[in-house]
Amino acid sequence: MGGLQKKKFERGSATNYITRNKARKKLQLSLPDFRRLCILKGIYPHEPKHKKKVNKGSTAARTFYLLKDIRFLLHEPIVGKFRDYKVFVRKLKRAYGKTEWSAVERLKENKPTYKLDHIIKERFPSFIDALRDIDDALCMAFLFSTFARTGKCHVQTIQLCRRLTVEWMNYVIASRSLRKVFISIKGIYYQAEVMGQLITWLVPYQFSHDHPTDVDYRVMATFTEFYTTLLGFVNFRLYHSLNLVYPPKLDSKTESELKDEDDYAMNSESYLEKLSALSASLARVVSTAEEEEAQLDQFPVEGEDIETMEAREKEEKQQEAQKKLFEGLKFFLNREVPRESLAFLIRCFGGEVSWDKSVCIGSTYDVTDETITHHIVDRPNVDKQYINRYYIQPQWLYDCVNAKILLPVEDYFLGVTLPPHLSPFVEEKDGDYVPPEKLKIMALQRGEKPAQEDEEEEGEEEEEEEGEDEEEEEDDNEEEDEEEEADEKNLKIMEEQRSQGKSLKVKVTPGKVKVENAARLEQEEKAEEKRLAIMMMKKKEKYLYDKIMFGKKRKIREANKLAAKRKAHDDAEKSDKKKKAKTRK
Amino acid sequence: MASARRLKRVAASQPGFINLKSASDSAGSASSRRKRVNKNKKKSWNKHSDINDIDDFLEDVRHQERTTGGLLSEKSDDSLFFLDIGQPKKAEQKEEEPVEGKKRKGKVSRPLRIDLILQHDSLVQPPKDVLAYQQPNAKKLRRIAQKAEQLAAKGVVPRRQKQLLNRRPVDRTVKKAVTEANNNPDREYYDIWGQESKNTADPWYLQQTGKKLVKRPEKLNEKPSVLPAVEVIAPGGSYNPDFFSHQALLQEAHDIEVKKQKEEDKIARQLAVNRADTATEETVFNEQVEGLVEEENEEEVALDEEEEDGAVGAIVLADKKTEKKRKREKAEKIKEQQRLADRRQTDQRQQLFQLRSIKASIKQQAQKTQAKQIKRKAKQEAQKAQPRRLGKLKFQPQDMEVQLSDELAGSLRRLKPEGSVLKDRFKSLQKRNLIEPRERAKFKRRLKLKYVEKRAFREIT
Repeated sequence: MGGLQKKKFERGSATNYITRNKARKKLQLSLPDFRRLCILKGIYPHEPKHKKKVNKGSTAARTFYLLKDIRFLLHEPIVGKFRDYKVFVRKLKRAYGKTEWSAVERLKENKPTYKLDHIIKERFPSFIDALRDIDDALCMAFLFSTFARTGKCHVQTIQLCRRLTVEWMNYVIASRSLRKVFISIKGIYYQAEVMGQLITWLVPYQFSHDHPTDVDYRVMATFTEFYTTLLGFVNFRLYHSLNLVYPPKLDSKTESELKDEDDYAMNSESYLEKLSALSASLARVVSTAEEEEAQLDQFPVEGEDIETMEAREKEEKQQEAQKKLFEGLKFFLNREVPRESLAFLIRCFGGEVSWDKSVCIGSTYDVTDETITHHIVDRPNVDKQYINRYYIQPQWLYDCVNAKILLPVEDYFLGVTLPPHLSPFVEEKDGDYVPPEKLKIMALQRGEKPAQEDEEEEGEEEEEEEGEDEEEEEDDNEEEDEEEEADEKNLKIMEEQRSQGKSLKVKVTPGKVKVENAARLEQEEKAEEKRLAIMMMKKKEKYLYDKIMFGKKRKIREANKLAAKRKAHDDAEKSDKKKKAKTRK
Repeated sequence: MASARRLKRVAASQPGFINLKSASDSAGSASSRRKRVNKNKKKSWNKHSDINDIDDFLEDVRHQERTTGGLLSEKSDDSLFFLDIGQPKKAEQKEEEPVEGKKRKGKVSRPLRIDLILQHDSLVQPPKDVLAYQQPNAKKLRRIAQKAEQLAAKGVVPRRQKQLLNRRPVDRTVKKAVTEANNNPDREYYDIWGQESKNTADPWYLQQTGKKLVKRPEKLNEKPSVLPAVEVIAPGGSYNPDFFSHQALLQEAHDIEVKKQKEEDKIARQLAVNRADTATEETVFNEQVEGLVEEENEEEVALDEEEEDGAVGAIVLADKKTEKKRKREKAEKIKEQQRLADRRQTDQRQQLFQLRSIKASIKQQAQKTQAKQIKRKAKQEAQKAQPRRLGKLKFQPQDMEVQLSDELAGSLRRLKPEGSVLKDRFKSLQKRNLIEPRERAKFKRRLKLKYVEKRAFREIT
């Protein structure tokens, strides 16, 4: 007995956490400043495991921070700047109140500002770290660049965001790193592969903002402030990795081609506008011709077999082919299609693009150009049509990019009902339901060419074939099983007969030359190996294996069901159409 | 007065002077007596000599100059008089009229009288400012300039200029860089990851002056959620979706709506008024009559209470234990303990033979704990993708963006965007635990509103 009584909440988790208000008081900052600081420094609230202990017995919901994080914040030089700013505002208010204009002038000249460079370096110690986190920055920059300059946020921020996004798009074009596009009802999703990192971003449609009221603009602006700084540094690094000039300059050749159109924009803005037209290539530091593609180095790693290597090589080749998807094609965008998105897409895959002069600056050729191969139109019909070009709807471009091949243009002609635009972000595992349109595209990728006529039916047939293939495989397995069972039965009978002491019926028959189908044999061998492996499994593993196989089978069954449903749906639609056609007649 | 008159007389007697005021007050001024004063000093001379007549004269000269541009006496007759021959100007006026008539009929536009008054009407030229034409110290300056030219030709720089040249230029750009805001659209970027830290100063000094950056703890670089920054919408969210994926998305949205509806219904049900609780005529009557009508069973109740009181009062006292009894109890206790100890021992001995089953049970237990561990781990993993409770409010997921089958646009041109990307980003930040969910602060009125009828309104009513 003896010693001091232990007090509650003076050790353990209660001392590891600090409430938001206490943290704010510790840093001597107002709540908005504190919030801004936390966002900039990347310090987030934390939910303690034992709330009641941390909250000193109370169960009220509070925002907690880790005490160590707040202690870390104490060392931040920006905190001082925030305090300076507070004082600055106070002085300014006072000067205004006393109508001391000279003092106002002087104070404004010495307005305290802060830099975020050191925080970027601190939070992203290496360039790859920054690249991994660039998704958010891109989304935010693209979002803010579409805002109207109406005072929801600083006009300067909007301008900066616009500049950075244009730089980013130009980089993606120059490096040809775009991989996927998806037009959703929300906005357009892009995915690019930059230095081995998959980067996804969302671009809102233009002019689609109704400003929601339940969004805290101050928080968003703070995030944007941080992300613009990050994006700028990343852009710089990326441009230098491609030997491009930063800030981006137009190629001297193309620059002379683009005449100055005085009435389009102010002089200060016209250069950015020209850049954002995305029609011209960028100037390089070392002006060399495009480097020859390096042969893929082969370093056989021991863990890998040749198959995976080959697969990778194949993928690489496919990617190279995708990069040159639109090379040699000349596009013209009609005025009703989304210009920026399409120009970005076409230039990313090496195509040439132009538009009407009145739509945007930077058009390179006219509608009347005879060498145009594709004219992108999004209206039911066009008055004057040139015979030597395709008039297609914009979805063709997006679908081509996702399919990595040039799709047949017939489905996308003017006034034709478009095939569905499938999401490239869905990756089906084997056994999942795959929509027939995707199957068709996959067949095209494999190089199978459907006949030009009755495309739809062809598609269906293929789908059926696919289904049959799967079934066949299953059947094969079953058949083999049956054969084995039959053999075993025969053997059993023979043994029984032998055990009963009967002499076996021996017969000599003329031998037949067995036709050895090498492929078949190999397959059989493999199947046998698999069977044996299954037999050798432990009970536990076997159980697991059975479970997996059951799941797979169930998936296949469900997929088949969906496919059948789809077929029924299609048939119903077809019959409807026929009926309608008949009634019209 | 008298002296003034005399002066005028003097001036008028001067040759060629024509007095404007032909006053004839020459008579009757001799009555004043002359005062004798010494004028031997300049001061007294100035004081007592009368110069009014000269002043008057000069004034008159100036007046003449102002009004006529010179002395009248020196002017020629032609400039002073003209020959009056009726009204010959009528013809001229008629000629002029049509020109003015074009501009304005009726009145001839004339400058306003007030402007005429304000006009400079003196005919005397304003005096010239001599200094405007004459440079002070011109000679000296000229000489200096000449000398400087000579020196410059020789190549000698004056001392002052040398000093100026030697002075360090004021770095204005540095200051500008300080005041540059973060959102300046023309801001410069550089290779932040390429350059090494250039701080070569004494680390102790840097640390003490607070210039050294504190190393960021590794733990802070962990993300608070495993969710990706950009969650791509389900395939049914395509602008031109595949039939089934669209149906799947609709189904999902439908399920969410149904759930919400159920909750709302539940609340409505709980809030509904219970029919049994409403007052009927009977209950109202009963309430009114309560206490007025005597009831028969009241007495019985009182009797019952009395009986109960009697029962509660009795406390049973236990008898004292005898020695014998105590001994017996003790022996029983010891015996019981012995029995239990024996039992335990035999059990332990028996366990030797139960080893297999014990092993099995231990194994079972271990398996159970392992399963639990796995389950807990999985739950923790799943928790990482969940939004945490970070503040007063719970995270509310955004409404799903869905377009019904008839809202779907056939072509990109007619596409109507659904939802707001801004909100999507904001909710994503909340979902990833980067910021706590908050509500917009409500406006609180500090002072009470007071309604006053305006007088005009009050008069009507």
